[in-house]
Formats: sequence, structure tokens, C-alpha cells
Amino acid sequence: MRVQRLVSSEIEGDNTVRFRVKASASSNRENEMNDRPTPDTVDLTNCDREPIHIPGAIQPHGLLFAFTEENFRIVNVSSNLAQFTPFRPDDVLGGSLADVFDPASDASLRAALGESGATVGWLVPIRLARGGGAEFVGSIHRHDGLTFVELEPPERDLADAHAFFARTSGAIKRLQAARTLESACAAAAREVRGITGFDRVKIYRFASDFSGQVIAEDRDEGVASFLGLHFPPSDIPVQARKLYALNPLRIIPDISYRPAPIVPDVNPLTAQPIDLSLSVLRSVSPLHLEYMRNIGMYGTMSISIMRGERLWGLIACHNRQPRHVGPDGRQASEMIAQVLAWQIGVMEEEAVSRQTLKGKAIQRSLISDIEQLHDHRAGLARNSEALLELMGASGLCLHSREGVTTLGATPPEAAIENLVSFLGRTGGAELFQTDRLSAIFPEAAGYADVASGVLAVPLSRSPPRRVMLWFRPEVGQTVRWAGDPDKPVTNVEGELHLGPRKSFAAWTEETRGRAIPWRSHEIAAAVEIRDLVTGVILRNTEKLERVNAQLARSNEELEAFAHVASHDIKEPLRHIEAFAGMLGESIRPIGDGRLRNLVGGIESSSRRLRNLINDLAEFSQVGRRAKPLAPASLQEIAQEVVADLHQRIDEAGATVEIDALPVADCDHNQMRQVLQNLLSNAVKYRHPGRPCHIRIFATAWREDERRGDGTGAVTTRICVSDNGIGFDPKYAEQIFEPFQRLHGPDAYEGSGIGLAICRKIVQRHGGSVGAETSPGLGSTFWFTLAAPPETKAPAPDRPKS
Amino acid sequence: MSLYREHAAPIVLVAEDHNFDKMILEEVFSRAGIEADLRFVSDGEQMLDYLNRRGRYADEGSAPTPALILLDLNMPRLDGRKVIRIMRADENLRHLPVIALSTSESRKHITEAYSIGINAYLVKPANIPDYVAKITSLWHFWMVTASLPVVESLPP
Repeated sequence: MRVQRLVSSEIEGDNTVRFRVKASASSNRENEMNDRPTPDTVDLTNCDREPIHIPGAIQPHGLLFAFTEENFRIVNVSSNLAQFTPFRPDDVLGGSLADVFDPASDASLRAALGESGATVGWLVPIRLARGGGAEFVGSIHRHDGLTFVELEPPERDLADAHAFFARTSGAIKRLQAARTLESACAAAAREVRGITGFDRVKIYRFASDFSGQVIAEDRDEGVASFLGLHFPPSDIPVQARKLYALNPLRIIPDISYRPAPIVPDVNPLTAQPIDLSLSVLRSVSPLHLEYMRNIGMYGTMSISIMRGERLWGLIACHNRQPRHVGPDGRQASEMIAQVLAWQIGVMEEEAVSRQTLKGKAIQRSLISDIEQLHDHRAGLARNSEALLELMGASGLCLHSREGVTTLGATPPEAAIENLVSFLGRTGGAELFQTDRLSAIFPEAAGYADVASGVLAVPLSRSPPRRVMLWFRPEVGQTVRWAGDPDKPVTNVEGELHLGPRKSFAAWTEETRGRAIPWRSHEIAAAVEIRDLVTGVILRNTEKLERVNAQLARSNEELEAFAHVASHDIKEPLRHIEAFAGMLGESIRPIGDGRLRNLVGGIESSSRRLRNLINDLAEFSQVGRRAKPLAPASLQEIAQEVVADLHQRIDEAGATVEIDALPVADCDHNQMRQVLQNLLSNAVKYRHPGRPCHIRIFATAWREDERRGDGTGAVTTRICVSDNGIGFDPKYAEQIFEPFQRLHGPDAYEGSGIGLAICRKIVQRHGGSVGAETSPGLGSTFWFTLAAPPETKAPAPDRPKS
Repeated sequence: MSLYREHAAPIVLVAEDHNFDKMILEEVFSRAGIEADLRFVSDGEQMLDYLNRRGRYADEGSAPTPALILLDLNMPRLDGRKVIRIMRADENLRHLPVIALSTSESRKHITEAYSIGINAYLVKPANIPDYVAKITSLWHFWMVTASLPVVESLPP
């Protein structure tokens, strides 16, 4: 990663890369993450690695002792010992603490260490054993196997305990009275400033990318306001944030201090540089000090605002003059920070639970609507206003193969199609969310004004995908940075020079293509809605599959029944017909016409019944005999049919003309059956007064013209046109129903099943049937078939007869 | 003994389960003026017993070798299809001409019948004159036109 920003910490310049490689400790240190970097590997990663917890020195306004509790012997001490005490480091190193502290102090220190919960910042009054018994306040903490005592001179105007308590509890009460996050933060800034007397106290909140913004401030009129300013994430790099989460308070009473090295700078237990993570006197990076000088501040303190384990923000204090805050003031400030954190927690949780309640209400309404409307799309559409509001979105889209439903401000439909297929390609079976769509999907820049933020949840796990998308507009906001965060690193004679920002004049940046980020409870709500809807869809699908299976089963049973029944009925019927035939022949010699008619009635009735049963059986078999569709030449099929029927055609004196017919995906035998039925009907219902002429031809057109985009299926319409008797057009649909006849059995033979079979077959092919007719002039029966994509059905070469 | 076309009436073994069908067939043969010795069996088991001269056909002379077999494909117990498979697997029986009689006009049934070794498939007409015409031409083909296998009948 290239260094792009002139980085330094506004709070503490922990980005300093010191090109100081210590000769002590292990010889193989460049491989160790937590160690000081070597100069040839300077980049932002190193900034993030910069070991601010092992500066090897403390600030000189106090003393530091490190010892082991095993024998209470001193192993490290700060080199400024002689400034406060009659000792020099060499006098005390290796010696017992009891030799340095007076017996009472030593005893109370040991007692404090014996307390459970004695951790960071425990205060013990300490008096030295020699040198007139100078008094200090000692803060103790344990870390890395060592125990640390940091001594500071007592505060000059030691407030009595009661005054401290009164001040602190008053501050807490005022803080708790705040009703909003902003007012609570403002109150906290005011109270901390009241306690500490800094020129400026500001509340700094981290965003999800760890950039920060000053959201509240209390200041002396003489200093500039930072309220509303943003700071880039690199101002407080990751290891500084980690340290701030560990140790809640940092103070630099005077940035012009000279660091007091710790001797020796090695933890004897770990053979590593001594870790000052939890030290209150820890020396900070010179870069940070320069940063402070650049903003004209000489005394500083910061306190972490923790929400659980997460660093939510900071209370940052600045002073134009050096300013020391003693342990009491620091403790009071820490308490304010803690109360503020609780307040923030309560307020955030309230906001989330309000949102959650709203979400639950929408879910209930959604479930009841989907169940009532039997359609998840309709249910979502009915609740879309609420879904929009719940997500704080400005546009909502339901995308499925049935189409796109939008609400509010959304990109155009074609853009949504592209976006959805992009999301599909990026493998988003799960949730997708971004607050900067155009950064990953460049064409989205064209509609950044409505959809810079996208939250998409798939409603189906497998294609065809159904997706619900929420959109957020680009935030046309101007971010006021405290100095240009993108100001490049200066390169001095081939060497990287990392220095703190010189200019803190607010630098404004227009945010482009960015939306307000989706918050975790909004994402959670989207996931819940997805689970709910997919649950409903799944239940509906399962129901549908069950019903389909039942239907298929009962269909099969019905067909099997029809087949068996017709077979079993035919047997005795055949016998009746045969016996009637024999009887008829036997009585012929008698010459009784009446008897002959009676027997003839039995014969013809049983013959008719047999034909009916045959047709019924055939009708019931259409589905069972079906073969897979394959391309076949309709022209050849028509010729075969004419050949089959040539006898009847010849008898009727009919002429049959076959135009060019296309190839179509069909079941060859069934198609033959359809054409045979239509052709034999045309012959059968010929006009007695004129020669029968029949023409078979095809027309092509797009099934779905209204789409207008050429996506409608190409369909072939096959027509069988005659100049026969025709029929009343009002029966044009009815004649395709089974056993519907327009003529008595004496006039024309047939059971009335032929056209019903045609329709069943054509429907099975995904086509439709119909008839156009004018009584006395003729009829055209037609059916449609999907043409294979590469085959173009010929256009009619002449008007139909 | 060999098959005598010119002596006595040719024996036709008819496997038919239904009495009415037997009556109709006898009537049809009679109307067609065919002199044939119709021997009826009611199912596949009986037919195999007849051909193998066992069970009720164990008595000498009770089951002379037929010149032609008419077989209803749909019979109880051992149906016609199974009988043909068994016959065609039997060295002593596989040469016998078998004509299937059926009510089914289904292409599938017809194809299947030929594929398992039937010699001809005849759809039973419901109409007596049609039936008579069919049997007449059948008889003419098998007994006059075609040359039938001449095989020593099984020793009694």
C-alpha cells in the first residue's frame, strides 16, 4: 500500500516511524509484528504496526518503578528518578521496594495489591523512605508479569473527598438528564471541561471506517471550534485504537517534555522491550507532539468512550498552555466518560428496539397479507411503504421472473436488471450491501443520485432469482475534514518523510457516489424479512408440489381407469354385435322386415357404442402415449396423412393442396393424428353442391407482439381450410369439447371426440386451436406450434381461400 | 406321422377363454365353410399341456399335433404372450404356426406380438361378415398358399 496521506494522530500521533533500531533484545526483530520497524519498510502497514506501547520512556512529570511481586525487587525504573528523589537508578535497580518506600507506604502498596480487583489505576499514597519523605500519589497496575507503580506529585490544591464526590455526582446527574445523544455528549463535554479546566473538550465519535467526527464540544472562546469536523481513519491508527480500548485515559500535561528513558528498557521476564500499554506516564510519539504544536495546543488528555469491547469514541481535551490533571480529576473525568457510555448505550438500544418493534409489526402485517393474498409479491407490495421506512431507504424493488415492482426512487428497470445479474454473478446467495455501489459496479455511477446505497436480499436460493432491493440516494453532503486527509507524503531526497499535518484549516470534500451506510439493525431486519418471505415461498412451493403430485396421480388413475374400462366394456359389446349379426342372418330367410329392423337396431347401436368407447379410450390415451417433442417436417406429415386418407378423399372427389409447411418441434404421431382429424373432418363436412377443395398452409407471426422487443416466441399457425358446409361461428369453441356434435349421428358419423383430441394434443405442445367459419361457405381450422428458433415459418404466399 | 393336409380335417388348436368367443369362432368357421377340427383350450396352461401331451391330454391320440394355432393373447393364468415365449424356446414346438387373436388394435401390442414370435396378428372383428371374411382369407393363406413345416410328430 502506498502512503497516500500525511498521517498523524489528532489525538496522539502514533504514526511516527522512528528509524531508531535498538541494539538491545533479540537480534531477529524485524520479523516480529509488534516490534519496531526497520527503515526500509515504511508504509501504512508499518504505521499500523508502529509499536506505541513500547516507547522505552515515560513523560517526566512522574516516576515509574517496575517490580516482580515474587520478591518485590525493582527491575526497571525511569531515569528521572533523581529529579524527585535522592536515589539514582543504579541505587535502586535490583533492590527491594521496601528500601525505597517508607514502611507504611510499602505496607499499603502490598495491601492494595492483595485486594481483588486491583488492576489499572489503583491509587495509593506513597512516601519515600529517604530524602525527607517526599509524598506522591501512586498508580499501580500489572502487565506482562510485572507490577508497575507510577508516582506523581500530589495535586497542589488537594480538594477534599466530599467536594470531589459532590462535583462528580452532580455532573453525573446532569448528564443523565440528557434526553438525546447530542445533548448527553454536550453535557459530558461541559462537565469534563468543568472538572479539568481544559480550553477545549470535544466528543469525538468513530464511524464504521474509523474516521471520526467531532459531535459535541465545549470550549473557551479563545480557541477555534472543531465541532462538525471529520478526521481520517489514519489519524488514529489501529494499534492506537487497540491501546485506547485497553487503557481508557491518556494525558500529556506538557507537550514540550523531554522523555525520561526507562532503565533498562527490557522486561526481564520476556526479554522484550518493556510494555507500557497501561501506563499513565507513557511517553508518546514526537510526531504527535508536533501535531499538537501545529494546532497550538500544549496540554492534552483523552478518555475512551467504550461500548462494551468497542471503542465508540473519545473525550478529547486540549489546552493552549501545559495542563496537568491530577489523579482525582482524571478519575472524575473517566467516570463521566463511563456514564456517557452508558447513556449512549441506553439510547442506542432504545433506538434499535424501537426499530425492532417496528420491524416485527411489519413482519406480522406481511405474513397476514401474504397469506390473505396467497402471493408474496402482492404481500410485499402492500407493505412496501412500511418496508421502505423501516430500512430508511428511498426506493424499494421486488425483482423476480414475473417482473419488476418498484416503489419510491429507484434506478430504471433495465438498470435494475443489470444490477441483479451483476449481483447474481458476484455469487450473492446471501445478503449484499454497499454504501458505494458505483465503486464496485461502475455503471451504477449513472444513477448514483437514487442508488448509491444498495441492500439486496435474495428471496430464493436457486435460480430463477427473486431479489428484494432497497436503495439509498447519494448523500450530497460536504465533509469538512480537519485538514486535507489526502495530502500526499512529502518525499525528501528519496526518503519518506512522515510529518504531521501543518494545516488544520478545514478542508472540505464533496462526497460522490456515497450513501448513508446501512446499519446493522437494518441489515438484520432485511435478513429477517428475507427469511420470512422465503419461508412463505417454501411453504407455498411445497403445497403446490403436493397438490401437483396428487393431481398427476389422479390423472394417471383416471386415464388407466378409462383405458381398462373401455377395454372391458368392449368385450361384451363385441359379443352383442356378433350375436346380433348372426341372429340377423338367421332370420333373413324368414323375411320379416320388422324383426330385421329390431336386430339391425341392436347391431348399429352396439357399433356406435363401440366407436364411442374407442374414441374415449383414445382421448384418455393422448397424455399416456405422448412422446418427447422433436423437430419434424409438418409438410411430410401432411403428405402422409393425405396418403392415408386417399381412399376417402378420392371417394369424395376432393382435392387437397399442401403449401410449404415448416419444421416444428412436435410429437410426430400426434401431429399426424391432428392433421388426420382435421383433414377427415374437411372431407366429411364437404358441401354437396360443389367440388370439395381443401388447402393446408402455414402462417407465421410473433405470439406476443406487445413486448415489441423481439422476445415474443415465433409461432407457426397451421391451417386446414375447406369450402365445405361451415357452421355457426358461435360454436367455434364448443366444438373442441369432447362429445360435442353439431349434427345428429344419422347425418354424419362420429362421436365428436376428434377435435377434442386435436385440442388436447396441441395444448400438450404448448399451442392453441381455433376455427373460423362462415356457414355454407367453408371453415378454416387452425392450431399453433412454436417454431424451432432456427426455422422461419414461410409467410403465406397468397390469401387463403 | 406327418401332417396330412389332404387327409381328414386339419386340426386347429384354439386358445380362447370365453365361451361366447368359442361359439362365435365355431359359427364363423362354419359360415366360412371351412372344414377344420377345432380343438379348444381355455388358457395357456391347458395349451401347453395339450402340446406336450400331459395332464388331461396324456391319453394317446387325445392331442394330435395341430396344423395351426389360434391364440387369444389375453387369457387368464398363463397369458398368450407367455405361452408364445415358452413355445419359441421349446425345440419341439417352435416350428408351429401361431396366429394371435386379439381385440386390441394398439400398435404397441401388435408390434410386441410379432417381436415375440407370432406368425400373424388378427384383430377380432365385431361384425360377423367381417370376421368370416378374415378367417376365410387366413385359412386360404395358411392352408393353401403357404407351405407348412412338415415335421414328425412326437411319438405317442
